[in-house]
Amino acid sequence: MFARRSMGLFAALPLVLALGACGSSSGSGATETSDKKSETRVFAADNGNVTIPARPQRVVATGYAVPALLQARAPLVGISSWQRGEPMMSDENLATYKKLTKVAGEAATETNYEAIAEAEPDLIILGVPTPVLGDIDVKRLESIAPVVAVGPTVPGQWRDVSRKHADAAGVLANYDTVKAEYEAKAAELKKKYQGVLPQLKLGHVGSYGDTSKGTFQREFGGSWGTSIAQDVGATYYGKVKKPGPGSQSVSEYPSIEELPDSLGEADAITYSVNADGSVPPSVRYVMESKLWKNLPAVKKGMTFPITYTEAATYGDAPKTLDAIDKSFARLLS
Amino acid sequence: MSAADRSLPVAKTRRQVPRAGLLLGGLVLLGAVAVLSIGIGAHSVPPAEVVRALFDYQGTDDHVIVWDVRAPRALLAVAVGAALAVAGALIQILGRNPLAEPGVLGVTAGAGFAITIGSALGLAGGQAGQLVFAIIGSVAAALLVMAVGRQSPLRLVLTGMVLTAVLGGIALGLRMMLPDAFDTYRFWSVGTLAGREQEPLALPLAAIGVSLLGALLLSRPLNALELGESVAQTLGAGVARTRTATVILITVLSGAATAVAGPILFVGLIVPHLVRRPAAGSVPWLTLYSMVLGPVLLLVADIGSRVLLPTGEVPVAIVTAFLGGPMLIWAVRQYGAGTR
Repeated sequence: MFARRSMGLFAALPLVLALGACGSSSGSGATETSDKKSETRVFAADNGNVTIPARPQRVVATGYAVPALLQARAPLVGISSWQRGEPMMSDENLATYKKLTKVAGEAATETNYEAIAEAEPDLIILGVPTPVLGDIDVKRLESIAPVVAVGPTVPGQWRDVSRKHADAAGVLANYDTVKAEYEAKAAELKKKYQGVLPQLKLGHVGSYGDTSKGTFQREFGGSWGTSIAQDVGATYYGKVKKPGPGSQSVSEYPSIEELPDSLGEADAITYSVNADGSVPPSVRYVMESKLWKNLPAVKKGMTFPITYTEAATYGDAPKTLDAIDKSFARLLS
Repeated sequence: MSAADRSLPVAKTRRQVPRAGLLLGGLVLLGAVAVLSIGIGAHSVPPAEVVRALFDYQGTDDHVIVWDVRAPRALLAVAVGAALAVAGALIQILGRNPLAEPGVLGVTAGAGFAITIGSALGLAGGQAGQLVFAIIGSVAAALLVMAVGRQSPLRLVLTGMVLTAVLGGIALGLRMMLPDAFDTYRFWSVGTLAGREQEPLALPLAAIGVSLLGALLLSRPLNALELGESVAQTLGAGVARTRTATVILITVLSGAATAVAGPILFVGLIVPHLVRRPAAGSVPWLTLYSMVLGPVLLLVADIGSRVLLPTGEVPVAIVTAFLGGPMLIWAVRQYGAGTR
């Protein structure tokens, strides 16, 4: 999943500059050294300990760092494309996203090094998983500005990853505000559904199944489709049969023949749908199978579509919470 | 009986029994492999339950797997295998080229090009959309090749190769510029029989069935054409009519097979070689044998695609490539030995 897409977007300068002037540079894994002319600190990233400006003024962001830093109002001067996040952006963030210079496409291989150099950044934040770093000429980027690479290794890790992005960009205070709003909302919903959700064994069908192989995506706890619902109190049962690295530790791709084995014990099934509510082809393939219609949860009508399961920041995740609330509402009736 | 067959009455009488026996044996083998294909899959269904599903359907999960997942897949393998093998035999006869395969008429490239265009327009994301675009692309490419190269088999093949190169180049350029089109194409470009059970397959399968029948009817005039155009004309075979009908059949067979399963190489190339010796120069027998051995080969490859790797299925086109290489070498060596 990580390899399929890896880039994104951003903006909002004035506030960030102001925040940068008074912001704290301490953060997880970071140490600070002083220099009156240009303060720097050492930041622990996926690509090692990197000396970065304590208060960056011109940040280039790619991949998962794009939505995180847009929402945290970092001083962005260039971003990668992040199309999958567009439906979740607020009007303000979407306008900023569209206005900002695009220095990379959706894939890491589409990085435009000259455009990055022209943006004259003092910090480059690559929000891509470590394996994808191989597609980027990091040394060339390092000749332009300090490079911090921070990407998720498992889907549910977006929480820590987006925090590190904000920390590196010197906008941790903004990040914490957005995070607090999300957590308050999640706690409210957890309370609302505490009488029904904890008793259910849930399964999730993700949208990355490959119909050309006759497979579907089963997501377990800690995956894109499940981790936000877990914050509301949902319990996704089971685990990957043969765990692999990254997202393969929390999701698998069984044959459609294995649908009864995979989801036969579920009391309820959630499934990913597009932002407009339409069912993706890979999920439709599952739902049109007679094996799906034979599942106990399906026969009881206990299936719940969830939009915005690709949320990867605390700024996006409230939309997912709203979608979960809307879908689960009938559990309370 | 055609004039060509009448010219060899003694040889024909002597060979008909083993030929018929071989055909019967092939049909038995095909039945056995088809049953095996229905019995093997990711979910374990006991053999007794497979039989019960076939003769006493109860709608349980096991029965649904047998009837709604595996049986359509086996049927698809039979149809695609027969279509590709017969199309391969026809193009080799028509082009007088033992290395010809259905793709030389530009059918596969046409389908791939159309799917790239469809993806770029956002219309070929689903399986049904891909099926429609693949059919349109296959037919359009074949019509273009026929229009330009109908005068001679050599010109036909050359036109197909040129069109393949041109369409392939344009499509590649588009895919490089449009990541979504690339994403759709890369899933389609490796032929597979998995996940097709919900597709609207009735029309392409019917087209394959009718075309196979047509190939049998055409095999006798083709027998005469194998002796050379002038001889065929002397024997009363309509050369132009036969050639046109053959190209149409190749187009429909390979186009329909590619549309429903994606590109699957080697079946159309290797099967005619494997059956050439037992057919002993008879196009009708070559066609019949191809019609039986093509499905056997594809079913065996499809079973292999399900069980070869512990990590899951591999597309059947990859297995046919692994099977096809050594088999082609073996066939060529046999062919060489026979001519010494």
